[in-house]
Amino acid sequence: MKRGIVISGVGGQGVLTLSRVLGEALLRKGYDVRVGEVHGLSQRGGSVVVFLRYGDRVYAPTVAPGEGDMLIALEMIEAARRLPYLRPGGLVLANRLVLPPPMSGEPPGIEELEEAISGAGVRLIVVDGSAVAEEAGSPLALNMAMLGAAIATRELDLTLEEAEEALATLFRGGLLEVNRRALRGGYKAAEELVEKCEG
Amino acid sequence: MAKAAIDGAPGEKRLLLGNEAIARGALEAGIAAATAYPGTPSTEIIEALARVAKEHGVYVEWSTNEKVAIEFGIGASMMGLRALVAMKHVGVNVASDPLMSLGYAGVVGGLVVVTADDPNAFSSQNEQDNRLYGIHSYIPVFEPSSPQEAKDMTRDLFALSERYGTAVFLRSTTRLSHTRGGVVLGGLPGERRKPMFHRDPARWALLPPYNLEKHRLALERIERLSRELASFPYNRVEGGGSVAIATAGVAYNYVMEALEELGVEARVYKFASTYPLPRDMALDALRAGRVVVVEELEPVIEWQLRIIASEEGLDADIIGKRFFPRVGELNTRLVAQGLARALGISYDTVEPPRVEKNLPPRPPTMCPGCGHRSTYYGVWLAAKKLKAKPVYPNDIGCYTLGFFPPFQMADLTWSMGSSIGIGSGIARFSGEPVIAFIGDSTFFHAGMPGLANAVYNEIPLVLVVMDNRITAMTGHQPHPGSGVGPLGEPRREIRIEDVARALGVEYVALVDAYDVRAVRDAVVDAVKYTRESGRPAVVVSKRPCALMEARRARREGIKLPVYEIDQEKCIKCGVCTDYFACPAIVKEKGVYRILPELCVGCGVCAQICPVKAISVRGESA
Repeated sequence: MKRGIVISGVGGQGVLTLSRVLGEALLRKGYDVRVGEVHGLSQRGGSVVVFLRYGDRVYAPTVAPGEGDMLIALEMIEAARRLPYLRPGGLVLANRLVLPPPMSGEPPGIEELEEAISGAGVRLIVVDGSAVAEEAGSPLALNMAMLGAAIATRELDLTLEEAEEALATLFRGGLLEVNRRALRGGYKAAEELVEKCEG
Repeated sequence: MAKAAIDGAPGEKRLLLGNEAIARGALEAGIAAATAYPGTPSTEIIEALARVAKEHGVYVEWSTNEKVAIEFGIGASMMGLRALVAMKHVGVNVASDPLMSLGYAGVVGGLVVVTADDPNAFSSQNEQDNRLYGIHSYIPVFEPSSPQEAKDMTRDLFALSERYGTAVFLRSTTRLSHTRGGVVLGGLPGERRKPMFHRDPARWALLPPYNLEKHRLALERIERLSRELASFPYNRVEGGGSVAIATAGVAYNYVMEALEELGVEARVYKFASTYPLPRDMALDALRAGRVVVVEELEPVIEWQLRIIASEEGLDADIIGKRFFPRVGELNTRLVAQGLARALGISYDTVEPPRVEKNLPPRPPTMCPGCGHRSTYYGVWLAAKKLKAKPVYPNDIGCYTLGFFPPFQMADLTWSMGSSIGIGSGIARFSGEPVIAFIGDSTFFHAGMPGLANAVYNEIPLVLVVMDNRITAMTGHQPHPGSGVGPLGEPRREIRIEDVARALGVEYVALVDAYDVRAVRDAVVDAVKYTRESGRPAVVVSKRPCALMEARRARREGIKLPVYEIDQEKCIKCGVCTDYFACPAIVKEKGVYRILPELCVGCGVCAQICPVKAISVRGESA
């Protein structure tokens, strides 16, 4: 068994931390894990993509085009941009947010992007991760809200409790509390959507 | 984040970056010193070591440049100690002078030089393959494939370095350095070596009578390594079948995935030492009659296999760059396609999903509150005031982002410090002013000789130093001008304005990067001075990195002011978005707005707004 997860967003949104917590949790569960990050230039407000592969035995750190099972996007333009990493029929979990790149004129709207992604032969779930993070106490906890939502889709071989344990190895104190609330909040928000989809 | 990534008990399993794994391996080998100049993708090695340096008794240094870093390592080795030196691939160019002599003279204490190459040039000016430096300098090259192997191999290479009396290259690439994987930690040494200078002038003083003999010895050492490296445990053969594949480093991972995808059985010759190749293992591969070579960038394994086949009179079909790209990085799909062509089998791929829509590009940008942005704005105003069309040589750092609109103030970027040298060659012959940009860290790294040259040779160049007090692009490593050491401990600060004066620059201005008018006036005066005197001028535009300051404020619980736009005063001229381009200011359906979650309260937009419509939130008149 092998799974390929793609995580995308805008530099500063916490894509690296999301992939790190997810990787820790999967490693603790006994999977072989590779997380392919890119540092440096991409941190400065640029488009960021991280690959996470896990399974009984994995080698490659990157998800090849057309190979990904799931795309977790913290922003909708970055969801659309990284779509070609998914296999046909793969799942996109996107945050209901458009961050217009500076100097790019009027950006495409949320509905427009939703329509374009849905029309590309993939499954799409959109959650308001930013609202969940805000409610949890910090807009910076968006990444954990999206991780909670990703777990609720049942595409990852991971429970909420397992993710919380991994979180506790990386954060402490107040920061841990905020992130935990965001993780649970994201899970709850997506759980309702997933049930609606399936029902 | 919690405790240091690489600190832990033997047997513990951690999710480590390749770079952190290398750092842990060095710790397990009992290094006494680690030095580096930061550069993506190598930086996290020294960062990880710095965090545990004190308790493990390791000397960790951010060096001024790679040449000094490697020289320090050579000195520590002469003291009989083990040292790790790390740099990005182009850093080896800077270190190449002492490196070439290191290949002749060798080492006493184990010396591992990490070269972090960047296939695909994600954050570099080229994708040079530094395995070729190994061939050039007679320094053997080793390539791990996974974080676990990176840790183990780094540890073992120190012993190998001492056994053969040679420095070794550990070659990583972006996809290893920045890949996380499970790593089981090993034991740490108890006792520390006593330093002692190994006095041996005939060996260390590279003077004419001794140099040819050292050249002979270096050749012999490489010969011996090629005979003996087949027993180096990381050189291994996996799998069976009639197909022989030779590979190394990260490419090995794609080979393993591709074979599974294609359903092909193969004997995989996984070379850990890619220079020199272990001769017996290479011969074994060649005897298969056909060898497919899968490696990123240059055909270094392929060339060596061809030479060995030719020397031994073996008639083997060696297939490499014929079917695999030499430009850019590999991935599982490219390798599967290449293997399928080489083996004459079919490989069907599905068309991946994509949106039928043009997406706006998102290049990296200078952060909200970045002092480089306000400096560029001020220089742009100066050029307007002077009615000049300056040439803008630029350099390597965050300020390189001035290349993009709206500023477009990087007519060239080359290598570290080149804005001054190349700028001088332009300024000597240019009718228009030449305004060069360089960062503070880059100035110390390679800018000072260029500036001394410009003073001595009377070059009419204006140099604007974008001083944000830190090496920002690589994640905030300190340098001689920062006033702090690797862990933030206070150090003596060398001020760039003092250096410029000491080098003989007569016009030196120090301005606050946030003061747009001051930047403009200083640059106007500097251009006038160079025109009249024919000599260089320096403007130091100083402001600590905004990202670093915002993080500090958050940590210390300081609330930064947030600015807002008075919609009644705003005339919708677009200066703040189209000419200044702060990412915190957006235009939505014709309305200009400051995003409070991004604003860090620098207030420069309030300075440049022509109708004074911007002020601190809650304080508007």
